[in-house]
Amino acid sequence: MDETVIQDRGISATFSRVPHSEPPHDGAIKGGVARSVKHDSAPRHVAGEAIYTDDIPELPGTLHLHLAMSAHAHAAILSMDLDAVRQAAGVVRVLTLDDIPGKNDYSPFFGDDPIFPEGLVQYVGQCLFAVAAESREAAFQAALLAKIEYAPLPAVLTVDEALAADLDLLPRHEMRLGDAAAAIDAAPHRLANTLHMGGQDHFYLEGQIAYAIPGEGDDMFVYSSTQHPSEVQHNVAKALGIADHSVTVEVRRMGGGFGGKESQPALMANVAALAARLTGRPAKLRLDRDDDMVMTGKRHDFRIDYAVGFDGDGRILGAEFDQAARCGYSADLSGGITDRAMFHADNAYDLQAARVTSRRMKTHTVSNTAFRGFGGPQGLLATERMMDEIAFGLGLDPFDVRRANYYPAEGGKVTPYHMEVTDSVILEMMDELAESSDYRARRRAIRAFNATSPILKKGIGVTPLKFGISFTTTHLNQAGALVHVYKDGSVHLNHGGTEMGQGLFIKVAQVVAEEFQIDLDRVKITATTTAKVPNTSATAASSGTDLNGMAAKNAAGAIKQRLIAFAAAKYSVPEEQVVFLPNRVRVGNEEIAFPDLVQEAYLNQVSLSAAGFYATPGIHYDRETASGRPFFYFAYGAAISEVVIDTLTGENRLVRADILHDVGRSLNPAIDLGQIEGGFIQGLGWLTTEELWWDKSGRLRTHAPSTYKIPTANDRPDDLRIELWDKGYNKVDSIYRSKAVGEPPLMLAISAFSALTDAVAAAGGYRVFPHLDAPATPERILMAVEDVKTRVRALES
Amino acid sequence: MYPTTYHRPSSLAEASRLFAEAGDAAYISGGHTLLPAMKTRLAAPENLIDLRHVPELRGIEVTSENVSIGAGTTHHAVSQSGAIRQAIPTLAAMAGTIGDAAVRTLGTIGGSVANNDPAADYPAAVLALSGTIITDRRTIPADAFFRGLYETALEEGEIVTRLSFRLPEAAGYAKFRNPASRYPMAGVFIARHRGGEVRVAVTGAGNDGVFRVPEMEAALARDFSAGALKGITVSPAAMLSDIHGTAAYRANLVGVMARRAMENLGSAVAID
Amino acid sequence: MSSQDAQSLSPAAVPIRLTINGTERRLQVEPWTTLLDLLREQEGLTGSKKGCDHGQCGACTVLIDGKRANSCLVLAVVKDGAEITTIEGLGQPGNLHPMQEAFIEHDAFQCGYCTPGQICSAVALVQEGRAHTREEIREYMSGNICRCGAYTNIVDAIEDVLGQSSTLREAAE
Repeated sequence: MDETVIQDRGISATFSRVPHSEPPHDGAIKGGVARSVKHDSAPRHVAGEAIYTDDIPELPGTLHLHLAMSAHAHAAILSMDLDAVRQAAGVVRVLTLDDIPGKNDYSPFFGDDPIFPEGLVQYVGQCLFAVAAESREAAFQAALLAKIEYAPLPAVLTVDEALAADLDLLPRHEMRLGDAAAAIDAAPHRLANTLHMGGQDHFYLEGQIAYAIPGEGDDMFVYSSTQHPSEVQHNVAKALGIADHSVTVEVRRMGGGFGGKESQPALMANVAALAARLTGRPAKLRLDRDDDMVMTGKRHDFRIDYAVGFDGDGRILGAEFDQAARCGYSADLSGGITDRAMFHADNAYDLQAARVTSRRMKTHTVSNTAFRGFGGPQGLLATERMMDEIAFGLGLDPFDVRRANYYPAEGGKVTPYHMEVTDSVILEMMDELAESSDYRARRRAIRAFNATSPILKKGIGVTPLKFGISFTTTHLNQAGALVHVYKDGSVHLNHGGTEMGQGLFIKVAQVVAEEFQIDLDRVKITATTTAKVPNTSATAASSGTDLNGMAAKNAAGAIKQRLIAFAAAKYSVPEEQVVFLPNRVRVGNEEIAFPDLVQEAYLNQVSLSAAGFYATPGIHYDRETASGRPFFYFAYGAAISEVVIDTLTGENRLVRADILHDVGRSLNPAIDLGQIEGGFIQGLGWLTTEELWWDKSGRLRTHAPSTYKIPTANDRPDDLRIELWDKGYNKVDSIYRSKAVGEPPLMLAISAFSALTDAVAAAGGYRVFPHLDAPATPERILMAVEDVKTRVRALES
Repeated sequence: MYPTTYHRPSSLAEASRLFAEAGDAAYISGGHTLLPAMKTRLAAPENLIDLRHVPELRGIEVTSENVSIGAGTTHHAVSQSGAIRQAIPTLAAMAGTIGDAAVRTLGTIGGSVANNDPAADYPAAVLALSGTIITDRRTIPADAFFRGLYETALEEGEIVTRLSFRLPEAAGYAKFRNPASRYPMAGVFIARHRGGEVRVAVTGAGNDGVFRVPEMEAALARDFSAGALKGITVSPAAMLSDIHGTAAYRANLVGVMARRAMENLGSAVAID
Repeated sequence: MSSQDAQSLSPAAVPIRLTINGTERRLQVEPWTTLLDLLREQEGLTGSKKGCDHGQCGACTVLIDGKRANSCLVLAVVKDGAEITTIEGLGQPGNLHPMQEAFIEHDAFQCGYCTPGQICSAVALVQEGRAHTREEIREYMSGNICRCGAYTNIVDAIEDVLGQSSTLREAAE
């Protein structure tokens, strides 16, 4: 037996790349919708010319900030002696609670995230005070001179400890469909189990950073690496005690966000702005990587208990999920995140009767926050484990058990929150993927391989995905855009969405080019700023393109309508005879170049600027009854993964993954494929390698890439086949019938976790179902293998 | 990092003298051990003495008995040396698995050995290949050099100038990498020397640094095959237990890596 | 970046000579200054990024005398006399290096923050001549993290350039 065969990766295939699309026909515009246009910043990215916040040339006199951090998870602060800090070389100002003119808070809603503590610290790494100095080094070294006296208090660190202590942070929530308990009791088969899953650090390659520049009077300009400029603006104004209109927040691009720059950047921006206000000098705060990992929130870790009743075909008759999340010390976005975990407890399955409960536990750890999927992945993971366990118990193919439970394409079935699912395409997609990936034959081959391979074991897993699109906080589903057409026919585009690498800017620009029928290079993409589009929502919930694309389309449409009205009046033709053709406009029988029409309109005093607005129609959710239509539509995906494990070391590899994903009518197939692959790889990291490790005193010990394993090129599956579903079409009136793509693909990696479970089961001859929590690190896989073998021995004796 | 003064000696004697005069000083070569320590403020030398221009630390020499490598030689250079690849292919292959490509460009063999990081690869090679550590003052056999975590027989200011390895008849190396840091969580170097002596050295796993496994050595001396290792285990009590893995897990890995080293004689296997 | 002038340097600063992107530079550097900080803060070359500052993410990868290195783990003073190539020196829009062209052609990035390091690392990989297969490319690129997970396209881009060089053709024969 060659133990090292797991390293022999063989020949790898890959998905066929979508070439950058040429216009579909001669004379069509370059770069409209549904084309694989390259990322707008591509030439600058490869030349190192794309400017991120830390690359902006610093103004003379710029101060550098360092945040001092709590050494205790839970303690009263008896005293803080900062005299030596103030007197240290290079220190210009030390910032503490007393220096805040406004409100000491950087939270998104609840007012429970103090910038500087008021006598109490609640996690290791909590910001204590800030030092503004002539250099980062001086600020750092000065902070070490602080004398802090703590009185330690008992700390609650884990979900299980918090459950034992009954320490809820937010009110519990419950969704009910029918009588699940009765359905389970009456079912021919029942099972119940528990799954723990870890959190995840965002590890955006560009760390948290803010650069504040004081202006005249109250004015404050802040460059912030944020997915949510409006919230940073509001937070800075709140802390400084000034009106929102005095604060401008700008971000051209981020070096990754993934949810970690939704609520978190407010702290950095607040402290930078406070230093700028107090000293009158520009002030920059860039967190060290280690500090960033210790200080900022992560994906919530969960414990989920499930119970299910089902028939002999694996058809679910009723299911119950008790979800408990580690929220950390404050509310942050935990309410919405834990809600979304509940909204996804059904995944793509008609549970018939269901009860989903959620507890949001308080712990003395960093306040967990948004991360791609926003609770959805955690809700889904337990459900997928449950499906595998049902199939195992009945001796059926997990593919077939899932297939027996999908929401039907014809509608008529409702979710545990009483929303009818009317757009289910999951059965069709899964059948297509099973066919194209040769699932049945491979599953048989794997069983045959395992029968003769004592050390290496293979496994295969399937994951269907249904993911709800919209902010579940209904009012957030709004967006604005600002479009100017200049006299030469060139267009300036701005909207509230932020670019973090996901390709939002290019997609929205494609929409505007399409609307005006002008080449994409005539549309200028500009930095997101609160001065141009106000009161925006975070670029989050996969909704960036849906919302901002629509708002930009509305803005461009308004200008276009004025041009139509002008041309119709001027040339005395009916409006329907004014038609926008590629880079020109046909008016009656005449054709006018677009810039010429624009010039004429200008001379005739037509406004060539418009603000566009969009609010998602028809969505609502009633917490009292736990029912409504929180989602505009669902995005679907299908994945099948094959793994191999080494039962001596726990070493494992994903050898093949097949993905079919529904993005509706793709606005940009190249960008969408990148999102799918990237999301999948990130999900794979969450479920297999990325382990957050806190010690007993509440210190995060994995706070650098040397201890926290991010997937590298080597972790990508050997054979990865990704396709956009060619029948994809959004039934609701979304932007060009596309579907959101940012978050859903992350959950497709659950198929790899299922496959690992299957491989571990093989180590026990499929006699017992494995206990395998996430992340499935090599050591955890080995423990699960040992456990399976022990239980099989017990059965045999 | 804290302010420090920079010195650039051009001979071994000058380097040694500078160290003696400087008071608080540290030698630097590739900097891949010292710089991380300085960045995390675990090290804050007032004086930095750059060994990169000291000629005595350069060069690779191969005889019929030994391979001698200057302490300033980078991992990249060791992995690419035709002479070493021919003489001790496993050693060259092992050097090619250290860290990642950028780390191998700058990290040096001398720095790795002098630091005796419990998770570095080289200590296992030095011990298994019955190496000697040559300094500006003396020659130290490997068995007397490594003295626990980050501890060596080196005296204050003593400079490792060369590493000398006995040419084995056969050698193999296998390690289970920590996926994040790529340091071995268990790395086992096995060498059979002329006259039949077998040495098995383990790095990354022990709670007191690199160590030998006499039971495995005895078994392999009788029968130099992977099968001879069957049933031989190391005690978890002597293993490191940390955030990367428990002692029991590491003990298990040592056994598996030893077998893999035997199955891959003449090369180095890195698994994560 | 900050425009740190020579006057603000400490007396411990020492003179060094570096060839940066083909231009010889005579500089005063404090001995504790890393090459990355020198490039970003003194030389205004902000293409090389600070990702982790511990040599573990690869965002700061540059070429030192043609070999790739993490510039955050190198003291500038130690590299006196060396030739440094950064992403800016490989090529600029309008005159891009083939590897830069390939990264554009293959969409080999999302947020772009790791891209300069990936490209410098990839250029060195091709020059090293040891990677012939996709598997080898992946292993030899494993020091450069892309958190967006654009690895397929990164490997495609490198494979493309490798295919243009003789290395891959020889391997295939």
